Amino acid sequence: MAMLRGIVARDAHDMQAMAEEIRSLLMTFSRRMWDLLLVATLLAGSAFIWTTRVVPGAPATAPAPEPAATQPAPLVGHPAPEFTLSAIDGSQVALDDLRGQVVLINLWATWCPPCRAEMPAIQQAYERFRDQGFVVLAVNQQEDAARVVAYMNEQRLTFPALLDSDALVGAAYQVRVLPSSFFLDRRGVIRAVYRGPMSRGMIEGTIEQLIAETP
Amino acid sequence: MYPIIELGPLNLGSGALLLVIAVFIGHTQFERIAHKRGGDELEQRARRCAPFALLGAAIGARLWYGLFNWDMYGQSPGLFLALRLGDLAWPGALIGGALAGYAYLRVRRMAGATAPLADAAALALPPAQAVAALGLLLSGEAPGAPTDVPWALPLFGVPRHPVPLYYLLAALVTWGILVWFAPRVTRPGSLAMLYLALQGSVMLLLEALRVDSLVTVGGIRAAQVVGLAMLLIALWQKRAQMERAL
Repeated sequence: MAMLRGIVARDAHDMQAMAEEIRSLLMTFSRRMWDLLLVATLLAGSAFIWTTRVVPGAPATAPAPEPAATQPAPLVGHPAPEFTLSAIDGSQVALDDLRGQVVLINLWATWCPPCRAEMPAIQQAYERFRDQGFVVLAVNQQEDAARVVAYMNEQRLTFPALLDSDALVGAAYQVRVLPSSFFLDRRGVIRAVYRGPMSRGMIEGTIEQLIAETP
Repeated sequence: MYPIIELGPLNLGSGALLLVIAVFIGHTQFERIAHKRGGDELEQRARRCAPFALLGAAIGARLWYGLFNWDMYGQSPGLFLALRLGDLAWPGALIGGALAGYAYLRVRRMAGATAPLADAAALALPPAQAVAALGLLLSGEAPGAPTDVPWALPLFGVPRHPVPLYYLLAALVTWGILVWFAPRVTRPGSLAMLYLALQGSVMLLLEALRVDSLVTVGGIRAAQVVGLAMLLIALWQKRAQMERAL
């Protein structure tokens, strides 16, 4: 009887030891597996981040598509309606003279908060792309020259501001919303129209694309 | 692209409008789910915590955008306060919202509610993100790289990856997975960790297709670094949890 109890006790002890051993093995295995998974995720993730980093360089050049129409209209695919306006420095600026450059015509007013909000992004784009043939025409809608000059100086905006005193350009471009922005390619064809404020990504994305095109 | 929605005399920015709707959905869902999972007490805590988390998210989103556009924001610091819904970044919102929510719970000695509330937030965020992604699509934000895939959408004059649609799809899949797991996991914080892993993966993978990424040294996309960190934190937590269970 005592011998039987001894065997049972020994067996129970063995079982306990075995369970402990299995638990320890599982834990080591599990910890190793998780460590491996963590290291693999870190390495694969870092490699992915590195290979998909932003590499500076011009986008691929592509020929500009044929205009959809020959009639001037404030619509994508049409030649932009011509105009000549006075700039705040007194000079005359004609859209026709800017053929060969990528042009952003931005219709705006100083009283319009979303217009003011996008000005710093337009200034940044102007500074970044002006040497590559990009021009901004900020066409102010029916405000005093003095007010526009004060605003441009205060905000340190260096692109040309034009005075559309009679809102004739506003009418020709069918402006219902301020700001309204028209991006023209090097041939003077409207390629993008944004009514309402633009983000920096939208402005620079459009310009980069149009600059990269061969006329 | 429909950046402006005309409602009679009103011209509303579609992206901004859908962002506001997304915040409303996220907020109401957060409180509703908190009630469902933790009764009146958790709902009360969610209600008190939510405004701080939202404020933290707004500050984080703008700070993140401003710091990664320092050439522009450094010259005009007033932009940090400008009412401009386009200049917000999701990684900043997520970090800012989480930190503000956690800080509020700590200060109010409700740290015990952190994990259950994080679970409720994990279930509330994906539908809000889906609506916000629709706003990105309509307003032309988050432009993708040019591509020839059959589902490419034209933007800036060329066919591009419809990244906002990918975000929308990812948010719906994330939502589906979380809803499926919700009744099956009991440990508080598990859903939040699952969300962290899924969201981290989405940020890591989809950011690579964007052409307007906020970048850090060497052209590394900041959102991808945050995404990888989120994924690693979630895996690390899971490892610790498994170890404790054994």
